[in-house]
Amino acid sequence: MATLEMRNVTKQFGRKVIAVNDFNLKVADREFLVLLGPSGCGKTTAMRVVAGLEEVTLGQILIGGRDVTNLPPRKRNVSMIFQNYAVWPHMKVFDNIAFALKIKKMPEQEIKKTVERVAGMTNIDMLLDRYPSQLSGGQQQRVAVARAIAVYPEIFLMDEPLSNLDAKLRGSMRTELKAIHDMTDATTVFVTHDQSEAMSMADRIVIMKDGEVIQMGTPDDVYHHSASIFVADFIGTPPTNFLDIDILTENGNLRLKNQFINLKLDDNIARALHGYNSNKIILGIRPENIEIIQGKSADLSAACLVSEPQGSHQIIAIQLDKKMFKIVAPATPKFEPGQAIHLRFKQETLRFFDPESTLAIEA
Amino acid sequence: MVKKPVKFGKLIRRTIFYLFVTSLAVVILLPVYFLVSLSFLSTREAYAFPLPIAPALKIKYSMTHGERGYLLSVYDSFDGEYQTVLDTNELEKISEYMRYQLGAPMSIPEIEEQISVLESGTDPVEFSSRKNLWLNYSTFFKITRNALPALLRSLQIAAMTIIISIIIGGMAGYAFARYTFAGRDALKFSILFVRMFPGVAIALPMVIILANIGFYDRPIGLSLVYSIGSIALTIWITASIFLGIPVTLEEAAVVFGATKFQAFLRVTLPLALPGLAAAAMYTFLGAWNETVSAIILTQFNPTFSVVVYQSLLGSVGQVNLAAAGGLVMAFPSVVFTFFIRRYINQMWGGMTI
Repeated sequence: MATLEMRNVTKQFGRKVIAVNDFNLKVADREFLVLLGPSGCGKTTAMRVVAGLEEVTLGQILIGGRDVTNLPPRKRNVSMIFQNYAVWPHMKVFDNIAFALKIKKMPEQEIKKTVERVAGMTNIDMLLDRYPSQLSGGQQQRVAVARAIAVYPEIFLMDEPLSNLDAKLRGSMRTELKAIHDMTDATTVFVTHDQSEAMSMADRIVIMKDGEVIQMGTPDDVYHHSASIFVADFIGTPPTNFLDIDILTENGNLRLKNQFINLKLDDNIARALHGYNSNKIILGIRPENIEIIQGKSADLSAACLVSEPQGSHQIIAIQLDKKMFKIVAPATPKFEPGQAIHLRFKQETLRFFDPESTLAIEA
Repeated sequence: MVKKPVKFGKLIRRTIFYLFVTSLAVVILLPVYFLVSLSFLSTREAYAFPLPIAPALKIKYSMTHGERGYLLSVYDSFDGEYQTVLDTNELEKISEYMRYQLGAPMSIPEIEEQISVLESGTDPVEFSSRKNLWLNYSTFFKITRNALPALLRSLQIAAMTIIISIIIGGMAGYAFARYTFAGRDALKFSILFVRMFPGVAIALPMVIILANIGFYDRPIGLSLVYSIGSIALTIWITASIFLGIPVTLEEAAVVFGATKFQAFLRVTLPLALPGLAAAAMYTFLGAWNETVSAIILTQFNPTFSVVVYQSLLGSVGQVNLAAAGGLVMAFPSVVFTFFIRRYINQMWGGMTI
């Protein structure tokens, strides 16, 4: 129900630690935005700044066009779901949900109605007069969700809300949170370090590292057009395979060559490298973009190191110069360790990175 | 089913364990029993040898004609025979003796009635009277005239000490738990220093300071002095309690519309209640039981502990009366501890945070 904008936000702790550096972000109304990054990258701090739990060192925060930079959390009309649930142990579930409404001095009848409505949405209507210690972790997180919906927030902040749940529950809560986002029409900012969570939930992903934005885009964007080695490595399981490669020109054709491969690039692919003037490059290829073929015209041949069956598919690892190289292949045929494998790269999916800057090389 | 034979080693270990537990219980309970029993003994019983194991509930008398008038004997259950205690013709003396030495008062008309039985030919006449078990307690408050005001004063001092140290110590504990500042750990540790000084050692400067600010011999003065030590204790107890309450609980309250103060009042404070209760209990016990500083820092308005202490000395000094006073003194501590116990119990697993 509102847009969120962060302008040049910097958050510094003490004299040395810069948790968030010159952060710029525009979140559209009703968008589901995910802040993704490894631990310590500043994503949680960025969210806490939006909530008002941390003051900004520099910059501005606008919610629905309203400058909230210097407002206390209670005046920002945001609600938050915490990683450790943060439900109040001395209050029954009903009172947990009703807390904010009571502070707003909502009439009792209306409080009861609201609590019952959101409890219905989150499937905890039978638990209203229990204490949190009598609930499972998943139920506690539902209470936290219900509490967050009850206040009709403009912005939903979710700080790794699923990371304390077990794997199966995490999957189903993902779906539910997404559904709740759609039902409530609130703008959601979701923080996580789990890239698969980000991919499956986000309208748009912001990838952060060391307090700075590395890439911003839809899940497809960041997956297929990763802006740097860091992103290509961070997104996707198994991650992108990287190879150090020399570029050679032969008869006007570009060739990629190292001790393992010798690949002639198609012309339309080679065009991407026209502006590039060095003969060292890092080649990135995603594991599912490698085909296993029979014999001769292979781009790369090696011995299978290990094969991990996944049911619907298998992950085959080979070792190239002490680096693991993984392939996602159909479930059959099976490969024994030591067996020779012949691979061909789908050229249109190849990504090239500058070894110096680690950034992607685009045409 | 065949019962498994108990192994010899296990038997030995169990025996030693129960011996140990039993002797521990005896060591703890026996003195308490001794004090309670003593407080119900009459003066004659209290100074008898050997001391009776339990107070008598009834006194058996035997009366006959004596050299000076009437000869009163009292049945001694230990020897199993009557012992002559009094030979007089003054009935008031007999009545007084019954009241103060035997704790089983009889009025003069009642005694006259028995005498008339004696005169009518039944010689010796035997009769008995119920012992008034609570006599020592009423006597204690009657003899030590300042006991009741002192009791109220002690309660007042304990209450004020609790209020002062919970407010100041609790706030400091919260600050130590929630904020990082330069020298925090050193400061927190140095707070314990104030508890290193024995009350006697700093009594003289205390007298001078309290006299200068007009608090000498007044409850507020004593509660200030007691607060010094108990604030330190309260800080340590509450700081660890606040540390155990996740900050996110407060943050959640702040996000959901509470001011910082409301968040503290409605979330942190209720969760910290067990710790505050424990601190209050220690503070109460400290302030209630403290005697040394109270002797020095009061003159005409002593605390109850001082009164009990004084009852051991001087002309009043009777062990059974002192025992009664001591039990009166112990009573509020026990009641307060039991009352606050349920809050402290929450801390040990009644509620998980």
